[in-house]
Amino acid sequence: MFCSKKKSLEVERTVKANDREYNEKFQYADNRIHTSKYNVLTFLPINLFEQFQRVANAYFLFLLILQLIPEISSLTWFTTIVPLVLVITMTAVKDATDDYFRHKSDNQVNNRLSEVLINSKLQNEKWMNVKVGDIVKLENNQFVAADLLLLSSSEPHSLCYIETAELDGETNLKVRHALSVTSELGADINRLAKFDGPDTKLIQNSGKTKLKRTSIDRLLNTLVLWIFGFLVCLGIILAIGNSIWENQVGDQFRTFLFWKEGRKNPVFSGFLTFWSYIIILNTVVPISLYVSMEVIRLGHSYFINWDRRMYYSGKSTPAEARTTTLNEELGQIEYIFSDKTGTLTQNIMTFKKCSINGKIYGEVHDDMGQKTHMTKKNEPVDFSVNPQADRTFQFFDHRLMESIKLGDSKVYEFLRLLALCHTVMSEENSAGQLIYQVQSPDEGALVTAARNFGFIFKSRTPETITVEELGTLVTYQLLAFLDFNNIRKRMSVIVRNPEGQIKLYCKGADTILFEKLHPSNEDLLNLTTDHLSEFAGEGLRTLAIAYRDLDDKYFKEWHKMLEDANALMDERDERIAGLYEEIERDLMLLGATAVEDKLQEGVIETITNLSLAHIKIWVLTGDKQETAINIGYACNMLTDDMKDVFIISGNTAVEVREELRKAKENLFGQNRSSSNGHVVFEKQQLELDSVVEETITGDYALIINGHSLAHALESDVKNDLIELACMCKTVVCCRVTPLQKAQVVELVKNYRHAVTLAIGDGANDVSMIKSAHIGVGISGQEGLQAVLASDYSFAQFRYLQRLLLVHGRWSYFRMCKFLRYFFYKNFAFTLVHFWFGFFCGFSAQTVYDQWFIALFNIVYTSLPVLAMGIFDQDVSDQSSMDYPQLYEPGQLNLLFNKHKFFICMAHGIYTSLVLFFIPYGAFYNVAGEDGQLIADYQSFAVTMATSLVIVVSVQIALDTSYWTVINHVFIWGSIATYFSVLFTMHSNGIFGIFPSQFPFVGNARHSLTQKCIWLVILLTTVASVMPVVVFRFLKVDLFPTLSDQIRQRQKSQKKARPLRSQRPQTRRSSSRRSGYAFAHQEGYGELITSGRNMRAKNPPPASGLEKTPYNSTSWIENLCKKTTDTVSSFSQDKTVKL
Amino acid sequence: MKKMAAANVRHLCSTNPVCFLLPHYHRTKMKRISEDYQSRLPDNTALKQQQLPAYRLQLSATGVLSGFFAAGAFCLGMGIILILSAKSIKEIEVKYTKICANCAELREDATNFDKECTCSIPFYLSETMKGNVYMYYKLYGFYQNLYQYILSRSNSQLLGTDLKDVGNCAPFSNSHDGTPIAPCGAIANSIFNDTIILSYNLNSSIPIEVPMLKSKITWWTDKYVKFQNPSSINLSSAFAGTTKPPYWSKPVYELDEEDPGNNGFLNDDFIVWMRTAAFPTFKKLYRRLNRIQYFIEGLPAGNYSFNITYNFPVTRFKGEKSVVLSTLTWSGGSSLFLGLAYTVTGAVTWLAAFSMMAIHLMLKKKKMLFIQD
Repeated sequence: MFCSKKKSLEVERTVKANDREYNEKFQYADNRIHTSKYNVLTFLPINLFEQFQRVANAYFLFLLILQLIPEISSLTWFTTIVPLVLVITMTAVKDATDDYFRHKSDNQVNNRLSEVLINSKLQNEKWMNVKVGDIVKLENNQFVAADLLLLSSSEPHSLCYIETAELDGETNLKVRHALSVTSELGADINRLAKFDGPDTKLIQNSGKTKLKRTSIDRLLNTLVLWIFGFLVCLGIILAIGNSIWENQVGDQFRTFLFWKEGRKNPVFSGFLTFWSYIIILNTVVPISLYVSMEVIRLGHSYFINWDRRMYYSGKSTPAEARTTTLNEELGQIEYIFSDKTGTLTQNIMTFKKCSINGKIYGEVHDDMGQKTHMTKKNEPVDFSVNPQADRTFQFFDHRLMESIKLGDSKVYEFLRLLALCHTVMSEENSAGQLIYQVQSPDEGALVTAARNFGFIFKSRTPETITVEELGTLVTYQLLAFLDFNNIRKRMSVIVRNPEGQIKLYCKGADTILFEKLHPSNEDLLNLTTDHLSEFAGEGLRTLAIAYRDLDDKYFKEWHKMLEDANALMDERDERIAGLYEEIERDLMLLGATAVEDKLQEGVIETITNLSLAHIKIWVLTGDKQETAINIGYACNMLTDDMKDVFIISGNTAVEVREELRKAKENLFGQNRSSSNGHVVFEKQQLELDSVVEETITGDYALIINGHSLAHALESDVKNDLIELACMCKTVVCCRVTPLQKAQVVELVKNYRHAVTLAIGDGANDVSMIKSAHIGVGISGQEGLQAVLASDYSFAQFRYLQRLLLVHGRWSYFRMCKFLRYFFYKNFAFTLVHFWFGFFCGFSAQTVYDQWFIALFNIVYTSLPVLAMGIFDQDVSDQSSMDYPQLYEPGQLNLLFNKHKFFICMAHGIYTSLVLFFIPYGAFYNVAGEDGQLIADYQSFAVTMATSLVIVVSVQIALDTSYWTVINHVFIWGSIATYFSVLFTMHSNGIFGIFPSQFPFVGNARHSLTQKCIWLVILLTTVASVMPVVVFRFLKVDLFPTLSDQIRQRQKSQKKARPLRSQRPQTRRSSSRRSGYAFAHQEGYGELITSGRNMRAKNPPPASGLEKTPYNSTSWIENLCKKTTDTVSSFSQDKTVKL
Repeated sequence: MKKMAAANVRHLCSTNPVCFLLPHYHRTKMKRISEDYQSRLPDNTALKQQQLPAYRLQLSATGVLSGFFAAGAFCLGMGIILILSAKSIKEIEVKYTKICANCAELREDATNFDKECTCSIPFYLSETMKGNVYMYYKLYGFYQNLYQYILSRSNSQLLGTDLKDVGNCAPFSNSHDGTPIAPCGAIANSIFNDTIILSYNLNSSIPIEVPMLKSKITWWTDKYVKFQNPSSINLSSAFAGTTKPPYWSKPVYELDEEDPGNNGFLNDDFIVWMRTAAFPTFKKLYRRLNRIQYFIEGLPAGNYSFNITYNFPVTRFKGEKSVVLSTLTWSGGSSLFLGLAYTVTGAVTWLAAFSMMAIHLMLKKKKMLFIQD
């Protein structure tokens, strides 16, 4: 009894069941789920602390403090505090509501009831109060909110079926069994809480939640730093200017103006001036920038929520933007990491086609006997005559039904095989309907197909299978069950029919099965092979079907040998495998089945379009290699035109390295391979890559499995892997653990510096969703974990296309436009102070009225740019979808980068020059229309402010490419607001009330009635806007972008229908390739033949042909061994000994 | 298959003696979905679907070019008009700092504040200045736009409501003994206090004082809204309890001895001075020509002289003073700059328009050739 004290290094846990006092010693975490951050008391301090941790907020707080120092205050305090308080309050309210909902959902989970054994009595206890070591009684369909150890259950052999939909999105049930020691104990499902709350496997596995920032945010942070550096430079220039001025002019001036003060030190004066100018010039990055960005993103998020084309009526789920801070990143995605099950596929298998005795069924033929495509007109086969038929099953080829009616014996045999050779369990529900309990959905599809065609699997016992064959009940004796495994890739049953014939029915991978056929099958084999290629070409999962007649004597001999083999202690598995090989030969081919792993709607089109947008799609799945490849073909990610498909499946580091090396050699040709042995010159090599990337022709694909990935992710091979993977058009990683998914995402993030998106539906995708730049969850499913961890969620994979190509592209486009304009605007607005500094003795006098400075960014110019940032469209959504290439600027980061920033900066500086020097020149030696002074400071301020508002409004009018009513209202409204606020603040009334706050009384009236002032404003506007128009016009004329071209084309053919880009045809030419894929696990055969999973009412007879061959626990060990490494691979990275 | 997956749950139910068919949670969830079915479907409004009817702004060649030609024409025209009207303005400026060098020297020493110094500057007006003529004083290098300077005033004091409110006026808020200064602040303290009298030598013998008006030289709002005297029987009692600014020789209520209504905060020269200039070189309106007698037409050509009482020291800060006589045009006393700027802008606009047109046409031709090929 010992336990490691250090939590991080916890290797063992010692727990006494049902002994709270003892267990409390270890202070294990309790089972309360905490996702909320604050409570009522801590909200204010913690939230404020968090908010001021943001650089921007801290910066503004710093400025505010500076402004409160009278010596350097050049702006009144309200210019900063009003926006700051506004921002802090808005964020705080948002955080508070978010946290309120988190509290609510936590409470819901925490207060679910469970039955816990306390003081030898079962008591209702809330899940949050369940302690480590408690014994919990669970009933059917209850939620499990902790890691539990199964002690016993009411099922035979203490089995327990659990659904892991909330974990991995898979709805089929997983089997868990109790330890044999404890299994005899109880009647109901009793479980021991093992890990609680934050210690659960899932939480430990799901990775840390990081605050996600977009690349624009990061760029902005850099730019803000640059701008701050720029401000410091300006401040220093002005401070030096002030020192010189004070020294040369101000000194004499001071004695004249300032009577009481003694001589001031020019250097100190310069120092103070520096800070004063930092305050004045801070409006280059005003706080409203951050607020506006949030508002724009919020608007874009609402557009996502509101989009009817992303609403899935089947589950009545609209798309949801769960994070409102990442939208523009949706327009920059380069890599998509997708889960398979539930995301690309529906996890529904349908029996589509079959080939029986050389004849294909399942194709739809028209009257002329020609194959046609499925249309609405086609009537499905009517199964209503069969009362046991599954109504959801649809089949469109009537010829199969006809063949059955004609009594084709091969068809009978085919369907009989489907009804016999499987691991399905049957059950009748209260309505007398037959319910199948399937272990793999593939099998379910086959058995259901047989059922609908009249070969109904009714029930089974460990040694019989009862099938209703076209109305008559037939019971077969199950003599042997040759289970499936990954090496055999096939399964067989040996049955004795009522006539006493012994038959072996076998289904499996065509490649394996065809080697086992009797030579007489050659003609049929060729035909079936053709059919199989056809099926495989359509992306269907195929199985070959064969049987063998056995004679009694042979079988008895064989069975004897099997029993002997089972009794062996060593080499048992090898011997058994050999015996299986022995009997599964000389098979007679019956045909083949084709099951469709039903893709989600529109997956192929979406993937095609996204690839056209140069987005690379990687599939990361926990599935087997065959299944993953099959889906890759089914959704056009893998095609036969590909030059090569590299498969990395080595089990050791050396093998993996060798495979990677070979693949690279193959990819780059011989010329590079010599220099490729080492990764010494990493940087050089990366540079080389970009060159090579251009020279590689043809498409490649990479398929890598989990074991190999574990080795490939080791640091010295990492580079090879990423280099290879990024050359490939498609990458499929199969059998990967959730953590590996995240590692792959991280790898691409770190090495390619590309924007990544992960999409998945189950809890096993959570880590990948969290580590990708953008995480997308498929909603409307059972499990919520993925959605809860995601940034965006919607019900169907196909909406990804609209999310990225329309919403993402627009968001990026709008955000970049917004930023470009915003920086331009504020440079123009602020730098005027710099120029003015040279004319006002560097005294930190502002050019504008204090009120104007306070209101400019939040009132006068905020709404038009917000309207542009929210509503602007360069091309319509339809065009965005039609021309996926339009997505490219986002990936290449073309619309807002450092280069563009310098352009806006130059634009702003130019405008500020025009804004300042035209009025300066005009005001020199000027007089009003009645001779009075108009070159006073206040008139100058009003002239400048009015010019600025008009210039930036004209500029936004030019920038807005999509003029809706809202844009009109906002732009005209802003100008109107400016003038009305101006006249109000300069009115007599308000001056009468606050004479010292509004000293500009009468100014607007006086200045703005002067023709000369208007002439100045007009000239300023023309001079600052004209060059921009010239540049834009020439740019569109000389170097038009794709979106310019589309816009132009649409303008010229407004009436004509827009051109649709040609999409590649989704059908491929088929080539020979195995479509074998079977989501089946080993071990279920043993379950069936031992009868362990059957009800006690069918007790296994003491003697029978097929006895439980192994000792009592070995099959369970086997089963667990297999299930743990496929299903709950969570535990791989953290082994816990109990 | 879907049905089968759902059936799994039921399978377990039938085998478990204590089993609820569907947990409460599921049922409530279903119910909620069906109830919310309508509301969960986003509204089909133009705003929410981003389908608002809109004009797509695009820079078309014809639009841009015609706009540019029009704007260029306007600017050129306006520039020419402005240049012509600026040329039509008659203006005379006499810098008198150097001419009155002895006075300037005297004023450099503050202790000589009580010594009067006058200076007469004769000049010849070769052409008649027709129409209204305005007399300005102009200061060079006087920074009325310093931050501390602009701040150093009290609007509420100047409004006459609270004479004791000298809040922002530092360092000229209170005198040594603590009495508040009225008008307080650096601006008021530094008032331009030269007196300039223009005299006309009609027959080169007896100079006549040119009649000048000191009314209407301020903004209406300044005179009637922004500046008010404290209400009292007479001004001197109204300003009781305050003291004059240190550089002033007379208290504020004795600024104009001739016109009693032009005293206190409502003194026009004071109001003009208090409206601080934007740049260190500025001219402020001092007097208007009263068009009577000889001066009905304006200022006739002939010999004039400025008689200046030199009080305002400028040499200390290397500044200069001048007096300006000027007429106006339709746009006021505009300088040549605006006209030139308009002309240049107009010319550049046209140049840009022509080059854009050339480039556009060339490209069009190329495209046509390309298509023909």
